[in-house]
Amino acid sequence: MPMRRRTALQWLAGIGSSFRAWSQSTAFPGDQAATLKELAALVLPSSLGRAGTDQIAAKFERYVREYRPGADTEHGYGFTRVRPKPPSPVAAYLSQLAALPMPLNRAAVEAAIEKAQIKDLPRLPEGQNVITDLMSFYFRGAEANDLCYQAAIQRETCRGLAGSSKVPKPFPKPIKERA
Amino acid sequence: MPTIESDVCIIGGGISSAMLAQKLSELRPGISIHIVEAGRKLFDLENRMEHRRRSLAYGENAWPGDFIADQPAKGIISRTMAVGGSAMHWGGTCNRFSEEDLRLKSMYGLYTDWPMEWADLEKYYCEAERRLGVSGEPSPLPEDARSQPYPMKAMELTYNLLELKKWGEKSGLPFWSTPQAKNTVPYDGRAQCIRCNTCAICPTGARYSPDFTFKQLLAANKIALHDQTQIRRLSVEGAGTKITTATGVNRATGQPVEFRAPLFILASGYAWSPHLLLLSRSSRFPNGVANRSGLVGKYMNGHEFISAFIEIDTKLYPGMNETHALISRQYFRCKPGDPYVRNDLRIWESAMDHEPRLRAKSGKLLLGDDLLNDWRTRAQRGTARVRSYYDVHPDRNSALTLDETATNKFGDPLPKIEHRLDAATMARKGATKQHFQTIFERLARNDGAKILSTSEGGYLDHPAGGCRMGTDPSDSVTDSYGQAHDHENLFVVGSPTLPSAGCTNGTLTFVALTLRSAEKIATQIPKHA
Repeated sequence: MPMRRRTALQWLAGIGSSFRAWSQSTAFPGDQAATLKELAALVLPSSLGRAGTDQIAAKFERYVREYRPGADTEHGYGFTRVRPKPPSPVAAYLSQLAALPMPLNRAAVEAAIEKAQIKDLPRLPEGQNVITDLMSFYFRGAEANDLCYQAAIQRETCRGLAGSSKVPKPFPKPIKERA
Repeated sequence: MPTIESDVCIIGGGISSAMLAQKLSELRPGISIHIVEAGRKLFDLENRMEHRRRSLAYGENAWPGDFIADQPAKGIISRTMAVGGSAMHWGGTCNRFSEEDLRLKSMYGLYTDWPMEWADLEKYYCEAERRLGVSGEPSPLPEDARSQPYPMKAMELTYNLLELKKWGEKSGLPFWSTPQAKNTVPYDGRAQCIRCNTCAICPTGARYSPDFTFKQLLAANKIALHDQTQIRRLSVEGAGTKITTATGVNRATGQPVEFRAPLFILASGYAWSPHLLLLSRSSRFPNGVANRSGLVGKYMNGHEFISAFIEIDTKLYPGMNETHALISRQYFRCKPGDPYVRNDLRIWESAMDHEPRLRAKSGKLLLGDDLLNDWRTRAQRGTARVRSYYDVHPDRNSALTLDETATNKFGDPLPKIEHRLDAATMARKGATKQHFQTIFERLARNDGAKILSTSEGGYLDHPAGGCRMGTDPSDSVTDSYGQAHDHENLFVVGSPTLPSAGCTNGTLTFVALTLRSAEKIATQIPKHA
């Protein structure tokens, strides 16, 4: 059956918006890579060292690039709600990074968080603010959990049943802490 | 319209359907069993590790495509409509009910008795545990005696649970490992659990899900599975009372389709089973089929729950195995004459109040080392998540009705569930709350514990009912085997038949009842089949 004109236009519009989202995502962090690294060094634990915080910044970049706007989220149990993932956070992140002064300082970061009126770390990075989303990305992850507890809990790793009755093994300290 | 004929037509493709089809194929080898399910097949074990990763990282649905957009319903607790049903993402908890659940009227003068004996049900519990593959530690209470051991040894308690057990038992209450449909050794062609900590999306198949059973049955040509096919009506042709056809539509193609069989089994769960019976109204059956009693969709039930987070002076390591819990069945029994309350009692590890935070209590922003140090200081103490399911009884008008204001894309009214508790349950609410406050305080007496918060569930969990079983056709929809009083060739299996939902997880009971039904259903299949 030939496609109706209206359907064809909707289809083209859909392609256009998907392309925009895709091209935006692949562009992250664009010319803000240095700012993102500086930010990571400032808001993540110093024990990770600069190499460690750079690595987290790189993982965050990949995370943002692989973000799928509109993907279905968990629809919940008990209180059901079908909710798609919010739009790509890239545009907001880029403008928020661009608004930060370089060289970056703690006061500027705190001022940006206060201005955005953010009270706590979000559950997931979904575009509210690049600073707290980057913090959430790291601090709510399994790696930070291990760092906090100084133990190889490896919350998100399939670890086998053996040895689970024992205290988790000590967490190998980052290079800087070992030194 | 294409017509598909079989010896048995099972409507619904969840855990009850899988267990029923498996057992029928054993009891009556060679018969044709057709299963019709509105949702999609999600037989993609190979993708589950990636779905799990995206679920953890992004909060995406770990079971993409497991719901039907135009089938929402008010009052349901899960949107899942797929082959395997809710048991694709269940936690695998396999607690049994207790004899008291079947004797509410005769022991306590409350609500109603179930039309079967405990000893009869108990043997089907054993069978359900064997078929699902349950690993468990037997309850130490003599009232929980079992006629057969668990098929697999219990899941090893993590360091966290061992610490929580020590703490919990200082209150004088015994706790042990919760039985689960998770493999502690390789079992039934499925792998041993490797503790991925994401049982809702088990990436290895160590936690039972019905897709494994369906795949085995399909590979052996023992069933035909029609997924994305929604049954919209059951019909009785002629002057008799037998259901003759199930008419539906293939959601993928939009084509109508008709199923004919000597036996129809409704295995569509607590919501969609009574819903289909009500939808099947006609001039001869203006209130739907199987509904001479007017009780289809009535006595919808479930259990209420209450939770507490209790901080203790013990270091725990959140994330070791968050879905495994301790259980105590200490309160499954209530002495006749005492104020009535029956509940389970579970303890999990938790990170509540020990998660990273952006601001100190004073409101000061925490960044980098400040945040980590604040988190480490708070993480010196552990948190127990404590929860009880407790027994409540439905009012007759605890109901699923057709919501004429909301329809799916075919114009069929969707279900609306409104739970109501009976007068006796409502009258003891205050005493029930006090009972739980006493338990939480009793636990909190040890190890410098502090109750951080308590909360009530706000909905009935593990819902059931809508086609309750009984001996009196004026007071029930089916007999104890799920055979409809009004239509000799129509059975309803699993959760809809429960008169009440007990005080612990329901799935094992749904399966046990289904396996019991299977034996009667097998005798009803014509000999020539």
